[in-house]
Amino acid sequence: MNPKASHLLDKYGIYLALVILVAFSAVMSPTFLNPENLRNIVNQQAVIGLVAIGMTLVVVTGGIDLSVGSTVVLSATMGLYAMNAQLAKGASEPVAVLVALGTGAVVGALCGWTMGVLVARAKLAPFIATLCGLVAFRSFALTPAKAGEVRSSSLDIYPGIGQGGLPWPLVGNGQPMVTWNILVLIVAAVLGWLILERTTLGRNMVAVGGNETAARLAGVRTERVKTVAYVLTGLLCGIGGFLQAARMNSVSTAQVGTLYELDAIAAVAIGGASLSGGVGSVTRTVVGVLVLSVIQNMLVTLEVSQYLHGAVKGAIILFAVLLQRGRNSE
Amino acid sequence: MNLRSLSTSLLVLTALWSVSGCGTSSGTGSAGGSASTTPGKKIKIGVSVPSADHGWTAGVGYWAEKAMAMYPDVEWVYKTADKPETQIADIETMMTGELDGLVVLATESAPLTPVAKAAHERGIYIVNVDRGFLEPVADVFIEGDNEAFGRKSAEFVVQKLGGKGKILVLEGIPSTVNTDRVNGANKVFQANPGVTVLESQSGMWNRQKALEVTQAMLLKHPQVDAIWASDDDMALGAEQALKEAGRQNVWILGGAGMKDIVKRVMDKDPVFPANITYPPSMIATGIHLAVSNLRDGKKDDIKQFMPRHMKLDVELITPDNAKDFYFPDSVY
Repeated sequence: MNPKASHLLDKYGIYLALVILVAFSAVMSPTFLNPENLRNIVNQQAVIGLVAIGMTLVVVTGGIDLSVGSTVVLSATMGLYAMNAQLAKGASEPVAVLVALGTGAVVGALCGWTMGVLVARAKLAPFIATLCGLVAFRSFALTPAKAGEVRSSSLDIYPGIGQGGLPWPLVGNGQPMVTWNILVLIVAAVLGWLILERTTLGRNMVAVGGNETAARLAGVRTERVKTVAYVLTGLLCGIGGFLQAARMNSVSTAQVGTLYELDAIAAVAIGGASLSGGVGSVTRTVVGVLVLSVIQNMLVTLEVSQYLHGAVKGAIILFAVLLQRGRNSE
Repeated sequence: MNLRSLSTSLLVLTALWSVSGCGTSSGTGSAGGSASTTPGKKIKIGVSVPSADHGWTAGVGYWAEKAMAMYPDVEWVYKTADKPETQIADIETMMTGELDGLVVLATESAPLTPVAKAAHERGIYIVNVDRGFLEPVADVFIEGDNEAFGRKSAEFVVQKLGGKGKILVLEGIPSTVNTDRVNGANKVFQANPGVTVLESQSGMWNRQKALEVTQAMLLKHPQVDAIWASDDDMALGAEQALKEAGRQNVWILGGAGMKDIVKRVMDKDPVFPANITYPPSMIATGIHLAVSNLRDGKKDDIKQFMPRHMKLDVELITPDNAKDFYFPDSVY
């Protein structure tokens, strides 16, 4: 392959992969391009999207965060408990819902901060430090709930956040096209892109992930940069947990967030980030999330046997990653 | 949820105790029976169940703890396991102590059979609940009737539709329990050609998975009358899918008697016209049996008349009888 073409493929291969998948699904299923279906594809993966945006930042700094799923469930659970406590005290619903969001965000950011400190200051291998978070954080959610479900006592606003959205455009049946989940995902993607591409912090993240020693010698406060990446990831997990719990109006402490770390890492990898650090893009990660989501939707729509889902998913992820490796495969 | 199965077990218990010449009242459920145990010798019973990965298994944990608390004079070893490997290790660890009895709800049947057999060979009294071992190593096996679960719930669907309508089917995690339920239901649906099963997919007994699958199915089928969801976690996922699609006038039949769903049946919610029992409290029945068969040291005598296999009937919950199956304090 000539170098120019392989460079283009390297940069835009992921978009090509998404287009191929969408075209294939549209041909195979008449309902695929239905606006409601397109809405569902994004909406269903919005929380994974938020987590994956954070994961991109962490991966760019040369780290990895396996604790994200457990952070999602812990912050969602604590948020729900805080909200229910407010409602029980007679607080109004909007106040209680804000408390849920605030608690979730703070708990999430604290989880991320813990991971960041273990990685950046205590110099633990990110895989090991965040593995501890993965197994530990969920326990703190399982214990008070006895591994069962925590239900919200909010009747209107909280579940409304999980279902509602912008009043226009609609997908028919009076349902919003841009749900709050999707809106938050878009905002987070824009902010994530800005941070990584347009700020000193973002440039420092890339520098730390590319060559930590060089970055330190150049005056970058590497420990702080790394910690911030984990804190932002935790914060996004906290917001994601809030949205997830609102959609279900409950948290199933044993189920919510399980294997989110793998979906998020898969999305980051599909998006062409280097798991050894220094390379990564928020926009391409979001496309990676969409690729995963389209695959999932296609498997269900085409009635592919549940047993085969894993194999098809694995093969397509592999294909998407290889497609971008035109240059490296020579 | 299952007053009937509890009362059945109470009846069996009363019969046992009168036969064995020990007429302690079984109705109090208190620790008052300790007078009948040998002084100084506490019996030790291990309880091993799957961890609460969905609402039903959370219910199992709730009822197990409730039943164990009824007998503080028994030494309990209680473990939950998320997969067969963990459960086997749990049971192996339990066996290193002096174990008199073992109550097991297996995460999976096949891998748990060898360790159950080892326990059996050591003379440990085994009560097996819900998911059976592959060899007859349990002294008592209690399970719900999954074929009837499918059949009775499908019969309700057909009847409510007046023999004519289009339905979606949500299946559970591929397993014998799911197969029996789905086959039981499909036999009924096939016998009623007016009822069309538009599509059948697995929601993995998981609320979120059921939501995603139902959303995809709803888009393909503009006309749907009802959803046979076969499980209450999945029923709630399906309901969310209906809401997000803005679809009205579709009703759902879940299953297993989750308290919120039972409440809504009781309140005549049009989305949930009925439900079907599959009581997680069967673990409590099993624990209760283990205690009653072991505490007097007469398990060999009891064995002569104790049924080895008990199949619990499942019942349709309708607004008329829902209050008998509503346990507001239960986690499930």
